[in-house]
Amino acid sequence: MAIVDDDDDIREALSDLLLVVGLASRAFDRAEALLAEFEPGAFDCIVTDVKMPGISGLQLLQRLRNLDASLPVIIITSDTDSTIRSRALEGGAHVHLEKPIEDHVLLLHLESALAGKWKGPPNG
Amino acid sequence: MANAASQRVSVADQDVDPTADRISWEFGTSAEEYRKLIHYLPVALWQVDTRGASAVFDRLKAEGVTDISAYLDAHPELVEHAKDAVRVTAVNREAVSLLRGNSASDLVGPVRYVFSATPDLAKRVMVAHFEGRRNYFEGTRIAALDGTSVDVLFTVTYATPSRALDTSLLMMIDIGERLKTETQLRQLQADFTHAARISMLGELATSIAHEVKQPLTAIVTNAETSLRWLAREDVSLQKLKQLTTRIISNARRAGDIVQRVRGMAAKHDPGRASLDLNEVVEEALLFVRHDIESWSIDLSVRYGAPLPRVTGDRIQLQQVVVNLLVNSVQAIAQGGGLARRIELGTSADGDGSVVFCIRDTGPGIADENLERIFDSFFTTKDMGMGIGLAICQSIVVAHGGRITVSNHPDGGAQFRFSLPSGVAD
Repeated sequence: MAIVDDDDDIREALSDLLLVVGLASRAFDRAEALLAEFEPGAFDCIVTDVKMPGISGLQLLQRLRNLDASLPVIIITSDTDSTIRSRALEGGAHVHLEKPIEDHVLLLHLESALAGKWKGPPNG
Repeated sequence: MANAASQRVSVADQDVDPTADRISWEFGTSAEEYRKLIHYLPVALWQVDTRGASAVFDRLKAEGVTDISAYLDAHPELVEHAKDAVRVTAVNREAVSLLRGNSASDLVGPVRYVFSATPDLAKRVMVAHFEGRRNYFEGTRIAALDGTSVDVLFTVTYATPSRALDTSLLMMIDIGERLKTETQLRQLQADFTHAARISMLGELATSIAHEVKQPLTAIVTNAETSLRWLAREDVSLQKLKQLTTRIISNARRAGDIVQRVRGMAAKHDPGRASLDLNEVVEEALLFVRHDIESWSIDLSVRYGAPLPRVTGDRIQLQQVVVNLLVNSVQAIAQGGGLARRIELGTSADGDGSVVFCIRDTGPGIADENLERIFDSFFTTKDMGMGIGLAICQSIVVAHGGRITVSNHPDGGAQFRFSLPSGVAD
């Protein structure tokens, strides 16, 4: 699992949420940092913010599709802008979620994204 | 009288030679005609016999008094004496009307009544007279005969020392309407600035929503994670403590943002706090970061090493920075060029002032518009109201600073403002 968000507090919060449900993750403060270390198979799923300095979440999605078309990417954003949602889904995102995200919704989508690699949170 | 009336009353309190640029009015041969003219002049006039004061002045000069102001302070009875000794000998129609009298005779007699609303004025008039000035003027308030008061521009033209006649001419112009208009204008301006802020807030609402959602997301996720920990058998108190601490700090962060937004909307007198311009810039960036990212603009910020502090209003100065940033973002967005870059920096100037500089890669400003760019309602933007930069200028000027604009040799516009450094008094 990889989390990409330029906001420190959100990175920490998401990492801890994944931790409590038994998912190990690595956090990156920008898309470039993830891309620098990326190699196919290193991550099972990517959760990324959209608006970040440098490469945006949508651009990251595009690059990741080229590197590994089967890697699920979950886009989270604080924008209510519908064009971002449609661009994300057209670009092949697994799902587009709006901040603030609900944990069970995120985990439900993670469960489907990870397709059998993870059986969901301990308490449902 | 004839000589005194034709003498040019200068608004400047200085010695003007009445013959230097005087128009030679011809009043015919009739003194009566001249008297009529004075009577119907639309300016309130008093002819004043100052012999009562001259006698006192002569004595004081003989005694070697030079600092008349201090002397009169020590001897207020002299001022009181003069108020009775100096007499109004004639007034025109406008004077009667201005002070709401019934006839000229109401205003003839000791000059005392002129000073009833502002007793200190008598002393100031005497000081100027003693010092040999030709004119004295000030904006003041005079009590009318019906008990109301009138705001006037009050002027005295003293008799020239060389002339035998001790006749001074007192003139009043009603400025009540003008003062009222000025007050209304000031009110309008305050309302306008307030409205401008609110409309700018509207433009920035999306940005603010974005900023608030960040800590809110962290709060919700941390709280949900806490609940998941609590549902486990191996509850980690340390983890719960950490999550709760994060919830609190993010709630504070959200609170700070709301506070800042409220501060920007607040209508208040400019504060005078000791400020670090770098902090002001950092806080202002919060409001435009979203816009900058939306337009994929590359922002470079260069903070000058410890800057001397400036004295001023944090919110107002933030507004200047926000307006300049928004202006740059819009210039780049509207310009549609390939380079999308904003460079801003702060520095300490050699002369002790603190400088903020911003440059964008927009289309720059047409030469013919450079001079008008800070004018109210001047805009080249389709949706612009032309108030952002005007507000910037008035705020900077109110802080004793200067704002300038130029086109960068490599393209784009460049704004620079400087503020004097120093501690609040």
